[in-house]
Formats: sequence, structure tokens, C-alpha cells
Amino acid sequence: MFNLPTENIGGQELFVLEFGDIVNYFSPYTAALFAFALIFTALAIVSRPERQVDIAFGGDAYYAKEVDVDLLRFQRFMAIACGLATLGAMVSGDVFNFTLFASLVGITNIGIVAAYKNKHVLNAAFQYGIVAMLATVPLFGGAAIILASTGTLSMWELFADGVVVPIIAKAFLVIGVMGEGMAPFYVAKAEITRAQGAPFILMVHVSSLLLFLRVIEIVISM
Amino acid sequence: MIPYLLFATFIGLLFHGIHRKVIARIQGRPGPPIWQEILHTLKFSFKETWIPKTASQTLFVAVVFVAIGIWSGALYVLLSGGSLLLLFGVYLLHKIVEHGMGLSSGSPYGKFGAIRSVISAASELPLFVTVIAIYLFTRSLSIADIVAYQEMYGPLLIVAFPAAVAMYLIILSKMHYGPFSIIEAKEIVSGNMTEHFGVWRAGLEVGYALKTYVLLYAFVLLFIGQLPLALMLLVMLLVLISLSFVCAITPMLSPYDTVTVQSLVTGALVIYIVILVVVMG
Repeated sequence: MFNLPTENIGGQELFVLEFGDIVNYFSPYTAALFAFALIFTALAIVSRPERQVDIAFGGDAYYAKEVDVDLLRFQRFMAIACGLATLGAMVSGDVFNFTLFASLVGITNIGIVAAYKNKHVLNAAFQYGIVAMLATVPLFGGAAIILASTGTLSMWELFADGVVVPIIAKAFLVIGVMGEGMAPFYVAKAEITRAQGAPFILMVHVSSLLLFLRVIEIVISM
Repeated sequence: MIPYLLFATFIGLLFHGIHRKVIARIQGRPGPPIWQEILHTLKFSFKETWIPKTASQTLFVAVVFVAIGIWSGALYVLLSGGSLLLLFGVYLLHKIVEHGMGLSSGSPYGKFGAIRSVISAASELPLFVTVIAIYLFTRSLSIADIVAYQEMYGPLLIVAFPAAVAMYLIILSKMHYGPFSIIEAKEIVSGNMTEHFGVWRAGLEVGYALKTYVLLYAFVLLFIGQLPLALMLLVMLLVLISLSFVCAITPMLSPYDTVTVQSLVTGALVIYIVILVVVMG
């Protein structure tokens, strides 16, 4: 046990997973987020997409869209990749790893809808891609400022008393994660939900919300 | 825990019934009996159940269990004095339930509800500010520590009044028939719940009842403190009735107006937090 120094925020440390000097940790909080990401990744693996019902313009007719198997496979692959990146971000004990996983989530989010052949969806994916890419500047900038000012990116060190992390670095981290899909930047991806494939589209939102929840724990703990 | 879960579900459903009754009386209608939502849930439990042919079947069913699961977990966190961040997390993850529920059916009405659910994501930001404000006073996010702080220094309702207002707005944004209930507006039938019938609807009613119980309980616990159960239920009821008054006299806002109102409140609270940080060092 490494004695997580922030028991009064995310709860007591339950389990650690060491990769050399990178030590991931499970507290009640991070374990709950990890479990939730795992559930929705499993759902993306086992679920088939819905057949969207659209109403024909100018009458009472409606039709149900068919499921494109090739599209399904690609969306499922990207949703699983997104789920794995989210799982990594949830228990990461290192700020740089967290930012890497966050940017990977942004990339896979675009991938989930990029193969869908609809002008509105592709436009939204393009706009969201720009926002997500711009957001990586404050995201990695925040991590860089933390490293420059404290000499470490390990959360185990940063969460300890006496280590002062500049508030601008915390703000950059939050803004960077918000750019991956939280309010108010989510408006860029509202049209993404037109795309078929609910279990995969849902991963876009699951990953964004979970990333936001994790970054809040990180900035409060530092 | 299971008896308490059943108790919380019963009280939550009863609160939903009282909510409808109060709104009806304010609007000059007789309204349904207060046990109507309990009867609804029982009725749905025994009705024919189906999954639409066009639905993503696994997801369609799974979101119902996720809804019950996360709010049962939230109740446990609240009663065991766990981390307030977990409660915040559950509140955000409820958005996924709303969204998944609407998208999974394939229905256009469900999809509109799901998209409105994404638009109303701004409602989570006041909760984030509330959490930070509470942390600045108590220096802990453990609910047990927050309760202990109030026993020593008095209710947070007085010293952190703007945070209490934000939390009140958060509960209001999740109330049925409220100004922010755009995801289940009647112009889109029942929004994201349109296709969930029978046992699935009964399950959702149970999850929503737990949600109402947890949010009201959390409000009283975080801003007034630990009270004996009977008194706690009474205060929760008073908070609920005040919410019902707001719902009865406020028309439903348009989707973009809900975002505007919630963003303005968040902006005001951020200024409050900045002032707190400066004053408290």
C-alpha cells in the first residue's frame, strides 16, 4: 500500500497497479468510475445498433434504416478503443498519462462517427475534431506547467501536502478536458447524435463525462 | 440495505405523487391522489412488456438496470458518509441513462429527448461549483466530515447560501413537470421514455424515485445536517413542496433558454467561488 494522501476526497486507496514508476490506483471513487466505463465498454461489445426510425417528409410514412455491417464493425472497434482509453484515464496515477488518455478519447470519439455517411454528422465530427485538437493545447500545457513548477507528474507526489500546483495549471487541465466534450464545448458535437449506433455513440458521452469527473478529483486533490 | 432501498423507493414514489398533487392544487385542478405514482409503478410491473423491433435490445434493457444501480449506489454512499464526489459522479452518469434510454429505441421522439438531454448538460456545472464551495468550507469531500463540520460550526445553508441555491437549482432541473424538464416535454410525446413500457417503465420509475429521495436527502444532509429520520423526511417534504410551487408557476423553458439560465447561474457561482478563494486565502 502506498497511502494515498487524499482519503478525504475520493476515499481510501483500495488497490494499486504498478507499471515501473507509474502507479495507477483504485479508490472507491476511481474504482466506481472504472466500473462504469467497463460496463459501457462491455455494452458496446455485446450490443447491436438500433434501426433508426425516420419520418418521411410531407406525409405519414416512416421507414426504418438498415444496419450497415461494415459501419457497425468500425464503430464497435472505435468504441472499444475509446472504452479502453477511458479505463486507463480513470485509474491513472500520473498526470501525463491522464492527458494522453484524454487526447486518445478525443480521437476515438471522432472515429466512432467518422465513417457514418451523413453530411450533418460529418460536419459535426469535423467541428468537434477542431475543438478537441485545440483543447489539447491547454491540456498538455497544464501538464507541462505542473512539471515545470513541481518537478513531477506523479499524482502520488502532487497530492501530498506542501506541493503547490499553480492554479493556472489546474485551470488548463479542466479546460482541456472540457474541450473533449463537456459543456459549453459539447455544442460542437450535438449533431453527432444523428448517427446510428446508440451503444457506440453513447461511448462518446460516457468517456467525456467520466474524464470530467476524473479531472475534478485530480485538481481538487492537488 | 435492501429494506431501506424499498423504503426509499416507496417514499420517492410518494413524493412524486405529492409533487403532482401540489402542482395541480396550485393550478386549480383536483389532481391525482398522492399514491398515484405508486399505483403507476405497480400497474407497469404487471403490464405486457416488449422491446421495440427497431431497438438496440441489450442497451434498451441495460439502461433500466443502470438507472436503478447508480441511484442505489448513491443512496449507499449517502448513508455510509462516503465521498461527495461519488454523488456528483452519479448525478452526471444519470445523464448517460437519459441519453441511452432515448437513443436505444430508434424512435425519433426518443432521439429528440436524448439530444435535449445532451443540450441540458449545462445543468451539471452548478453541482460542480457546489462541490467546490463545500470543499472550501469543510476542506473535505467526505459526507461524514461535512456532517461533522455542521455539528461544530452550524448549517452550511447559512454560510454557503449561494451553494445551497445552486444545489436547489440542480434538484429543480431533475424534477418532473419543471421549467427544465425539456427531455420529457409533451411535444415529443414522453421524450426519451416514450418507448419504455411495462416492466422497463416500472424499473425506471423505481430508479427515478430513488433519485428524488437521494437528491432531497443530500440537500438536507449537506446544507442543514444530520436529523432524526422523521424530521429528515419532514424537511425533505418541505423542500419538495417548495420545488412543486416553482414547477407549478413556471412554464417550461425552451431548450436553449434552459442552457442560458443554467450557464448564468454557473457564472454567478464561479464569481462567488473566486471571492471565497480570495477571502479564505
